[in-house]
Amino acid sequence: MVVAVFLTVFGERQALAGTAGSTRSAPAPLTPAFGVPEPKRLGERASAQWAPVHQSAKVRVDADAASAAVAPLPLATPEQTTNVVQVLDRRPTTSGVWVRVRVPGVPKGKEGWVPRKALGSPRSVATELLVDRARHRVTLTRHGRVVFTAPAAVGASGSPTPSGSFYIRNRLTRYRSAFYGPIAFGTSARSAVLTDWPAGGFIGIHGTNRPELIPGNVSHGCVRLRNRDILRLDAIMPIGTPVTIT
Amino acid sequence: MDQTTSDAAIVAGGMTGTELLQHVDRDGAVQQTMAAAVSRSGFLKTALFGAGALFAALNVPGAIAASNDSPNDTAILNYLLTLERVQAAFFGEAERVAAISGRELQAAKIIGAVERAHVAALLERLGAKAIASPSFDFLGTTEDPEAFIKTAVAFEDLGSVSIAGVLPDIQAPAIRTIVASVHTPEARHAGWIRTLAGVDPAPNAIEGVNTQAETLKLVNGTGFIVSEPLTTATLSPSFTG
Repeated sequence: MVVAVFLTVFGERQALAGTAGSTRSAPAPLTPAFGVPEPKRLGERASAQWAPVHQSAKVRVDADAASAAVAPLPLATPEQTTNVVQVLDRRPTTSGVWVRVRVPGVPKGKEGWVPRKALGSPRSVATELLVDRARHRVTLTRHGRVVFTAPAAVGASGSPTPSGSFYIRNRLTRYRSAFYGPIAFGTSARSAVLTDWPAGGFIGIHGTNRPELIPGNVSHGCVRLRNRDILRLDAIMPIGTPVTIT
Repeated sequence: MDQTTSDAAIVAGGMTGTELLQHVDRDGAVQQTMAAAVSRSGFLKTALFGAGALFAALNVPGAIAASNDSPNDTAILNYLLTLERVQAAFFGEAERVAAISGRELQAAKIIGAVERAHVAALLERLGAKAIASPSFDFLGTTEDPEAFIKTAVAFEDLGSVSIAGVLPDIQAPAIRTIVASVHTPEARHAGWIRTLAGVDPAPNAIEGVNTQAETLKLVNGTGFIVSEPLTTATLSPSFTG
C-alpha cells in the first residue's frame, strides 16, 4: 500500500515535470557488465576420496588413540612425493574426527583409523582402474563409463601382481630409465614376494622398453603398458584413483 | 576500513570482520582451526601459502584481458573471485564428503551451487586476467556437522560484508551493478545459514563492511589456503618393474 502511494506520487511528479517542458530525459537503464548463470550443481558422485598426509602418525585399529597400531603413516613416499591415503569413512569422536583409511601393506593393503588432523583436505575422483590379470587388460572408467582400455603385462608366476583394492599414490616422469617407459604411476600395492626389493617392493603401472612382451605374465609384479598407452592413461587418470586388481 | 566506516559500525553496533568472525564463532571452531594451522607440523608450515603470496597473486597485473575493465576493477573482480572460490570449495567439499546431513546438507548443496555460478561468472568476465585458484584445506570443518555450520556462518557473513566493502571502489557502474546483485544472494545465504546455526539472522540495523586487506588477512589467518600436495616427481622409479 505504501509502495503504491509512493509510486502514484512519484508518477504524478514525473508527469508534472513533463508538462513543465523539461528537456531532460531519464537515464537509460544500466545494463550489467556481465551475467551470472544458473546455480551449478556438482557432477555425479565421485568414486572415491583421497587425502594427503600432513602429519606422520600411526594407523590404528579403531578411532581411538589408545587402540593398537596396524601400520605407520609416513609423510612421504619412497619417491619423496607427499604420501596419500584413500579415505574410506569418518567418525566424529570426543577427541575430534577420525578417518578410516586404506594404506599400503602386504599382501592386500591395510585399513585403519587416523586422526583427521593428520591429513589434508579430502579430494574426490570419479575414475576407477581395473587390472584384469587373466585377460591381461587394464580398463579405466569415469563415472562408471569406460574411457580407456589397453593390453598389459603382469607379474610372472614367481613374482605375481597382487590382487586386491589399492590406489594410485604418485606419478613419476622425466627419469632416466627406459625400462619404465615415459611415465610410472606408483600404487599402494606391494609385492608379497619381493619384500626385500628397494623401497619395499611397491607395484607400479608404467611403460616399457620391451613392448613385444605385452600382453603376458613377464613382470616382477608391476603392470606394464605400451608407452603410447601409458601416455594416454597419464592424460586422464588422476592421483587417488582406486585400483582393483583381479 | 576507513575511520568513517569504523565510526558508523561502532555507532550502529556493527562489527569489524575480525569481530564478526569471532562473534559467529562463539564456540571457537574457526579459532580452533586457526590455532591448529599454527601448531601443525613443519611439513605443513612449509606447504602453507603465505599471506604475502596471496596478496601478491591478487596484485599481479595479469595478462591482457579479454575485456576493457580498468586495472582497479580487474583487481577487485579477482579479489571477489578468490572469495567466491573459497566459498565454492568449502560448500562443494561439504557436499562431496557428505559428513553432514539434513537441512545443513541441503544448504551446502544450494549455496555451493550458487557460489559455483558466481565463480563461473567472474571467470568469464576476467578471461585471461583471472588469477589462478589457490588450493584449500578446510582442516576438517567440512567433516564435522558442528564445525561445518559455524564455519559456514563465518564464510557467508564474511562474503556479505566483503562484497559490500568493495562496492564503492568499483569504477564501472555496470560492474558495480552486477557485484551488487551478487551481494544479495550472499546476504540471503548468511541469514539462512545463521538461522540453521541458531544465531540471529539479522542482529543489526546497520553493519560494517570489510576492506580487502581485512578480509584477506582473515582468510589467510584461517590456514585454509594451502599449496597442492607434491604427487609428481622425477626420481627414478624403484617399483618392482
